[in-house]
Amino acid sequence: MKQILFLVTLTFVALGANANPALEGDWMIELKPSGAPIIGLLQLERDGDEWKGFVEGGPVPVTIDDDHIDILIDTRDLRGFIFFMRLKGEMTDGVLAGSFTIESEAKVNASDGTWTAERYEQSPRSTEPKPVDLSGIWTPARGRDFRKYIMDLTPAAEAWHADYLMHYDQPNVRCASPGITAMVAWGAYPFEILESDDRLTFIYEFDSEVRRIFLDDRQPPEFYPHSGMGFSTGHWEGSELVIETTLLSQNTRDFRGEPVSEQARLEEVYTLSDDGQTMSAVITLHDPDNYERPPIRRRAWTRKPDTGIYPNECDPDSFYRQMYNENLLDMYFERSRRRF
Amino acid sequence: MTMTARRISCAVIACLMSAVASAHHSFAAEFLGDQTLKIEGTVSEVWFKNPHVRYYIEIQNDDGETETWDVRTSSPTILVRRGWNRETISEGDKVIVEGYLGRDGRKLLSLIKIELPDGTVLHHSY
Repeated sequence: MKQILFLVTLTFVALGANANPALEGDWMIELKPSGAPIIGLLQLERDGDEWKGFVEGGPVPVTIDDDHIDILIDTRDLRGFIFFMRLKGEMTDGVLAGSFTIESEAKVNASDGTWTAERYEQSPRSTEPKPVDLSGIWTPARGRDFRKYIMDLTPAAEAWHADYLMHYDQPNVRCASPGITAMVAWGAYPFEILESDDRLTFIYEFDSEVRRIFLDDRQPPEFYPHSGMGFSTGHWEGSELVIETTLLSQNTRDFRGEPVSEQARLEEVYTLSDDGQTMSAVITLHDPDNYERPPIRRRAWTRKPDTGIYPNECDPDSFYRQMYNENLLDMYFERSRRRF
Repeated sequence: MTMTARRISCAVIACLMSAVASAHHSFAAEFLGDQTLKIEGTVSEVWFKNPHVRYYIEIQNDDGETETWDVRTSSPTILVRRGWNRETISEGDKVIVEGYLGRDGRKLLSLIKIELPDGTVLHHSY
């Protein structure tokens, strides 16, 4: 696996002397496989004859010849097996379009399909608050997220991550919180939103975590500790809920184990569908200590009032017992420094 | 605890993926996605807790020795929403389990399906 990632990292710069310079810039790309569509930010940058491509903040190899483009996007399935989506297309009338195929050593649950990309310019957000009703219980919906595997790590983060063993070092395997940065994109559990005048309260089934998003102008108390859930404030920009979270403790961005620093800032922008039944979010991690370019995740949830938030207690005994039976406890505790 | 079980077969199969209902993101780090094993044995312990529900299954291997296999599935809340609770499988139950094989020769399975004493077959998908 590491060899594959190394090759991708090495090859994300492609020569494109005959490339149409109009391809440079930001694009919103949409893949249409047989299931739910996948959307994300594609960035094409040029430095002389060299081109660099990024999807959702992570590097991708690109080859550009005139109006034709070839992009290889690394991703993973829900079990963690890495595979690639090879996009071939061309620009016509200012729009990129083509088809993509799945390339994988392992059998994965993914299909070929078509794709399009249109110019992306972030439209100015409305400053007039127009809150919408997000209260209720939400369960994860499919699709939307690229699950981009490789991100643009700083050298320090790369060095730290090179020694990560995900099934020993992940916080949740020992019943510790993976923190909001990972949890907000975790895909199997519902959460509930309660609204009150000065705050929104998010109750996550996963790890039974509770999170308060203050809607007034309050600042965190002096010496407020860093934590996995951090300190969150929110405000409405039109009908979009924008949440910013700071005071995060050192943790990991996802099960893969890329680090999150105490200086990180997590931005989440939530929107509600016109029928009020689907909520979606764009989740961006700003952490220049660890990422040259902010990683982006996209998630959607479906309103599901007929379920509840179940208790979700965790006991790490079975995790430690397995290592005891396999004589791996010494190895595990010698790696304690890996667990912040 | 009686240990009358025996290992049935080991086969490499095409990995039949289905709808994911689990948050088992590190599956690829611990399990082989293209190799499954079927075992028949007796449930020696039920661990119906996070971080993963586990069933410890005692079997008799091809050499006549007793082995304990750690059969892992997802979290309790995911299972109970499907009506699969802590009483569904009990200590002493004779079961047939098919699962993805753990890496590095470990006696570890990620449950695909389990056949209970009354013939009921429960499936778990990723």
